Amino acid sequence: MSTYKLYYFNTRGRAEIARLIFIAADQKFEDIRYEHSEWSSHKNEMPLEQMPVLEVDGVKLPQSGAIARFLAKQFHLAGKDNFEQAKVDAVVDTIADAMTQFLPIRFENDETKQIEMVKNFFANELPKHLQNLEVLAKQFGNGGLFFIGNNLTWADLLFYEVTETLLGLNKNALDNHQWLKQNRAEVEKQPRIAEYLKNRPKSQF
Amino acid sequence: KNSIQTTLMPSYKLSYFNGRGVGEVSRLIFAAAGQKYEDVRYEVDQWPAYKAEMPLGQMPVLEVDGIKLPQSAAIARFLAKQFHLAGKDNFEQAKVDAVVDTIYDTYKAWAPSRFGEDPVKKEALSKKFFGEELPKQLQNLETLGKLYGNGGHFFVGNQLTWADLFFHTITETLLGINADCLNNFPWLKQNRAEVEKQPKIAEYLKNRSKTEL
Repeated sequence: MSTYKLYYFNTRGRAEIARLIFIAADQKFEDIRYEHSEWSSHKNEMPLEQMPVLEVDGVKLPQSGAIARFLAKQFHLAGKDNFEQAKVDAVVDTIADAMTQFLPIRFENDETKQIEMVKNFFANELPKHLQNLEVLAKQFGNGGLFFIGNNLTWADLLFYEVTETLLGLNKNALDNHQWLKQNRAEVEKQPRIAEYLKNRPKSQF
Repeated sequence: KNSIQTTLMPSYKLSYFNGRGVGEVSRLIFAAAGQKYEDVRYEVDQWPAYKAEMPLGQMPVLEVDGIKLPQSAAIARFLAKQFHLAGKDNFEQAKVDAVVDTIYDTYKAWAPSRFGEDPVKKEALSKKFFGEELPKQLQNLETLGKLYGNGGHFFVGNQLTWADLFFHTITETLLGINADCLNNFPWLKQNRAEVEKQPKIAEYLKNRSKTEL
């Protein structure tokens, strides 16, 4: 039985997908959260001076995507064979493409500029990514409510997580996407996830 | 071909531009594995006619027994796993993924300096990338190579993986712009040399046409 330690800030950000995978799998882990003031004293303990980092039996692994995929594979939330895992990866990458466009907005300091960027993102950028995700779900989802193969995978958990942030900024963001709304509802229904969501601290990002 | 052989061996078709870009790593994986595949290449002006055939209107796309898979990293990782070039167990595969993600970070940091529209802005971005950002990323990659490479020349576990192949093709482009950009990183230079020494890769590189991207 391996021991798992997850290091990140005290927020959802790039680590929450890993936390959701641990929760869905009912797997214990040490959930280490550094406040920004503490982080500088721990920075040089991390391989790339960044977080999240996952420590497995004392060995450190950086990069949020690599961490989440590793955990999903450990706990059978990654797809049942190599090709199914590839479909999951393709959906994950498509979600990541949307969030790459969102990132400059997240870190924009000029409030007026940020408001304009948010408007532009939801009107002109996000729709094509949501369209792409629905295309993939139709191709890979076997007619069900999960992205791939009729089972919960980390693709569903990641979509839930990033849209939590987006819906916090624009509660109508998914109004034209019934399948995607239903997919989120399915994730929320999972008993361990439902329990976790009830109790987790609220954070904007 | 008898029907048993067809069932056991999938057919692969890779569609991409006639260049390296983010599709070349998959071609290198096929080459390293000695695996036959249909290497479909579209010139930039041909591509619009085929766009609607691709799930997300983008390339590369890998077709496996008729099913289309988009997204360059998903494709390459799938192929690497098929042909045992992804790492020998789940944790080793995670180390490979971490190196790959760091190489992607490098590529994404470089892309605006090449693919923007304003030549003055691009020149400034390029200077900043080669002067500040790239050395930082290369340092990160050497850190991971030393942490995961078991003292050898490959990024993870003393064996060739798709992390080494991806590093080779992305740096091919960067070295084409700035031939000195790896001079302060002997481990990384040696890693590229090890990739080029692999017999099937050496053969493939000998015959590959040179492209800027």
